[in-house]
Order: sequence, then structure tokens, then C-alpha cells
Amino acid sequence: MSTNDSEERSGLLHTILPPNQVDRLFDVCSAHAWKLLLVGVVVGALPPLVGLEQGYLMTVVTEMYLFAILALSWDIIGGQTGYPSFGNMAFFGIGAYTTAILVKDFAVGFPTAMVVAGLVAVVFAIIIGVVVLRLRGHYFAIATLGVLLAAQQVSRNLDITGGASGKILFDVPEGTVFYYLFFGVLVAEVALVYYLSNTRFGFVLNAIRDDEEKATAMGFNTTYYKVVAWMLSALFTGLAGGAFSLFNTFLNPQTAYNGAWNVELIAMALMGGSGTVAGPVIGAFGLHTIIELVESWFVGWQLVVLGSAIIVTVISFPDGVVGTLREYASGMAYYERGGMAATDSDDAEVAADE
Amino acid sequence: MAITQFIVNGLLIGALFAGIAVGFALIWGVVDIINLAHGEMVMLGGYVSFWLLNIATGNTNASPTVFLATIPVAIAVLFVVGYALQRTLVQRVIGTDIFLTLLVTFGISIAIQQLAIQAWTANPRSIQTSFADPSLTIAGLTVPKMKLLAFAGAIALTAALYVFLQNTRTGRAIRGVAQNPEAAELVGIDVEHTRAVTFGISSGIAGGIGAFVATILTIDPQMGLIYTLKSFVIVVFGGVGSIPGAMIGGLLLGSVEELTAGLVSSRWTLAVSFTLLIVLLVVKPNGLFGEEADQ
Repeated sequence: MSTNDSEERSGLLHTILPPNQVDRLFDVCSAHAWKLLLVGVVVGALPPLVGLEQGYLMTVVTEMYLFAILALSWDIIGGQTGYPSFGNMAFFGIGAYTTAILVKDFAVGFPTAMVVAGLVAVVFAIIIGVVVLRLRGHYFAIATLGVLLAAQQVSRNLDITGGASGKILFDVPEGTVFYYLFFGVLVAEVALVYYLSNTRFGFVLNAIRDDEEKATAMGFNTTYYKVVAWMLSALFTGLAGGAFSLFNTFLNPQTAYNGAWNVELIAMALMGGSGTVAGPVIGAFGLHTIIELVESWFVGWQLVVLGSAIIVTVISFPDGVVGTLREYASGMAYYERGGMAATDSDDAEVAADE
Repeated sequence: MAITQFIVNGLLIGALFAGIAVGFALIWGVVDIINLAHGEMVMLGGYVSFWLLNIATGNTNASPTVFLATIPVAIAVLFVVGYALQRTLVQRVIGTDIFLTLLVTFGISIAIQQLAIQAWTANPRSIQTSFADPSLTIAGLTVPKMKLLAFAGAIALTAALYVFLQNTRTGRAIRGVAQNPEAAELVGIDVEHTRAVTFGISSGIAGGIGAFVATILTIDPQMGLIYTLKSFVIVVFGGVGSIPGAMIGGLLLGSVEELTAGLVSSRWTLAVSFTLLIVLLVVKPNGLFGEEADQ
């Protein structure tokens, strides 16, 4: 019955959006990925240059870049390597506190502080990673969540972090600086992740995700690859956090280790399509737009919307936008190769099973 | 003497943690998911009891008998909530990537949290019972009567669950599904129904204990995640699928927390619990009482 439904629906869909067109789109995108990225850079660099005023809209766009960085960083370890981290916001918080403390208490310049923030996050990732990357599945997910909450509690109790009341930062750079900062980090990360996804390194990460034991059996030092992926994830998340504390001008344990963001960034990667390069970015732009709209129209309901969105995505489209489209496109290639016959034999097989 | 007092306090609280963790372990063992919304069941149970008292008596100062009468209601309501959640949502992701099951329950958790904030505001609330004040003094140790009642209630619920699992037909079906779902189906057990019942029972017990939590601590819409994580610490310590292990784990965690609060500072209790979680996961991922798993 459900097969009929989906056939009818896809029949309509096929007329509006032929799968071979989608397939061609994917081909074009992968053939001209670097050019597309360049176009993206030019388009993204334009708004402040053409004199768009700083204001609500620019802040929202800046936040979109921030979330895209976070979602893509999560995807390096969660989507590409198959280690579902529930504690990536720990790196973000550590980066954020590093710049906040360096800039405010030690009068270090913001650019230096931001670089240090990224490095501190990486060092933290190595220490934690050696321990938690030995775990798999449920255990890894919960251990990382524990890391996040422990880090939050420690920041709440220390004096240098300003305790529960946090830190207020003055003399921050203007909004355009942050716009370009987040945008620059995002572009660098997209370029790096895309480059890596076509190298031996990227393939090994995917092999670990698909079957870690086989990857080990093939002679790869999986621990090394996992730790490096974890460090990359921490580096970009830490850089984003480092810029965030001054962007936000205020930092306390709640904002630095934001539990809701922790879920949002995973949801973004998942909705866009985890394990792909474009997916987390698309997911971040899309979901952040929705969250902003909900926040301005139905204040206080955004977590209900987020929770429902996650549930629907996980149950109906676990492959996300990019993954679902790719499957749709490859579906057509399947039909072109005489897929109906295959479908028939499929039915026969089911009948035989029964 | 102070240390003995801290340990007694810890054991009294720890029984509640243990009771919550037993349900968490049961869902983990039988349905094979980590239910990140388990703490929300504790929260909802507390609110059910709170509002029942509020509606019935007009205030939240109740005699212990009246309060105890609300507990079966809390258990029943949460049983229905748990059963429905499993049947409508969780069932659809069983057998897929574990990461997806975690996300679904996390989605449920945050949605319930904010719905609760919308319905009842984020203010912490608690139930006062009339004999709350006088405490018993046994051999120089102070034991508040309400904490003793909560302790007894939590132990009774856990023991009841243990007896239920060992001796009833449904209990045996649940254990059968935990051991091998396919074989259970072959001998005529309705696996989906049994899983939903398991989810319901676990949520019901969490809800009943939530009512006790409301009397000796406070309840608020965002309390859930902490209880979920504590359950995780306890289950990891005691081993998945071991009720005695979860019991001992809960009592120990309670003692460790009270000792930290008493000897260091109450600000550090959560940090200590979460660090303990990470250390335990790394050192003893199968728990002290768990069977050797191939995880």
C-alpha cells in the first residue's frame, strides 16, 4: 500500500523535477565544485561592500555562517567518521572563554586570541580524544555529552571564567569584521573538507564510519585518523567560539556551552545531509532561517519546533536534503538501466520469502 | 560523624536515582535504545503529583497519605505517555543507526521541556508534606521523615519491578525480548507491544519517583537531562540489564554526590558526577555487575 502511495507521489514529482535533471545537477556541481565555491565567495563577500547596513538581517546572516561552521565541524567527526559527538559545543565554549579571558584580562589582541582559541580547543580535543575515541556508539555519544556538561560546570565554578555570571566584553570590533571573519573561516573549512573528501584521508574516515574493524584489518591506524578528524572538528569549532565571545559581547556558561545549540548543529548537519560537504551548510542556512522566523513569530516555542523537526527528519528523511536528492537522482539512473525488470524480480523475491 | 551523616543523606537520595536508573536500564536492555527523554518522565511525574494535589486540596501542603495516593496516578499517566511515545515515535527508528535513536529521544526531550515551560513556567516547584519538619534521630544521625518515606517508596517500586519481571507472564516476555527479539517473536510474543509496555513501565516508575523528587527536592521543566545523565552513570556502573547493579550504583552515586557537597562544595557535585561518568565509561564500560558485552 505504501509502495503505491510513494509511486503516485513520485510520479507527480518526476514530472515537476525529473531525476535525470537532478542527476545532471549533481554532476555539474561535482565537476565545477571549486568554481562554485569561488562564486559563493564572491557572492558572500558582496553584501557589506555594496553598502548593506549593519542590522538585524546582517546579524542573522553572520549567525548562519557561524552555525554552518559548527555543523560542518560536527560532520567531520559525526557524519564522515561516524562518531556521533554530542559534546562539540565543549570546544566552542573553550574557544569562547579563551578569547574572552585573553582579550579582557590579558589585553591580548583579538586576532592572536582567536588563533590561540583554536589551538587550545585542539589541545583539549587531543587530551579528551585519546580517552573518549576508544568508545563507540552509545558510549561515545554519552561520554561526549558528559564532557560538555563537565566543562560547563567547571566554567561555572572557576574564578577566571567569571563564574556563573560570566564575562561582559567591551571595545569589540564592528559587525562587518565578524561577518568576514565567520565567512572566511567557513570558506576555509568548506574548501578543506571538500579537498579532504577526495583524498585518501577522507576515504579512510568513511571506511571507519562504515566498518572500523575492517578498516583496521586493512592496516590503517584508525586511532590516528579518528584523532586527526576530531582535532579538525575542534579547531574550527574553537575558532568559531573564539570569534563568538566578542561577537556576542557577553559570555556565561549557558551561552558558551549552549545545550540547545549542541542539538541544533547536529540537526542542521542531519537535515542537510550528513557525510556530505554541502549538506551541513545547506542545513545550517535552512534551519537557522526557520529558527529565526519561529523566534520572531512564536517566542518560546523554538525548542518545540526544533524537537519536532528533528523527529520528523530522523523518521522520514534520515539522509537529509542532499542524501535524499542524491538517492532520487540515482533512482533515475537505475530506471534507465532497465530498473523495472529489477523491481519485478524484487517482488518475486518478496513473494518467495513469504 | 559528619561523614556518616553525608553517607546517610546520600543513600536516602541515592535510592531515588537508582529507581530512575532501573527504568533507564530496562529500556536500554529491552528496546535497545538510550532514552534521552527519561529524565522528562521524572519531571512529568512530579508535575502530575503536584497538580493533582493542587487541584484536590487547593494548595500543595498535603498529608503524607494524600500525597501517596497521587503516586499511582502519576505512574498510570506516565505509563500511557511512555507507551504512546514508543508506539508512535521510537518504534520507527529501532534497528537503525543508534545515532538516530539518540536524536529522536533528544528531540522528544527538548520538545517536552519547552512545552512544560509554556504550560507551567520555568519556576522550580515542590510539594510540602505536613510531617516534613520533624526528623528522626537515630544514633546521632538526622533522618528527615519525608526522605525516609521517599527512600522506602523508591526501593518498593524497584523491588516491585524486579518481582514483576521475574514472576509474571509479561515480565518473562519482556526478558525474552531483551535476550532475543526474533526468538521471542517465534514463540508468539508480540515484540512491538512488549517493547511499548517496557517503555511504559519504565516511564511509569520514573514518574512515580518524580513525585517523591518533588517532595524532597524541587521540580522544574529543565531538570530532566541531569537525571538522564545520572541514570547513565548508574547504569554504566552497575551494568546494562542488572537491577541489583543499578540499585547499588544509585546508592553509591548518591553517597558520592553528598560527600562532595559536604566536604568540598555543593557547586562541584555535578562536575564530579559527569567526570565520574567519563572515567567509568573508559575504565569499566561493561559495568561492575554487567555481563561481558562485545562493545
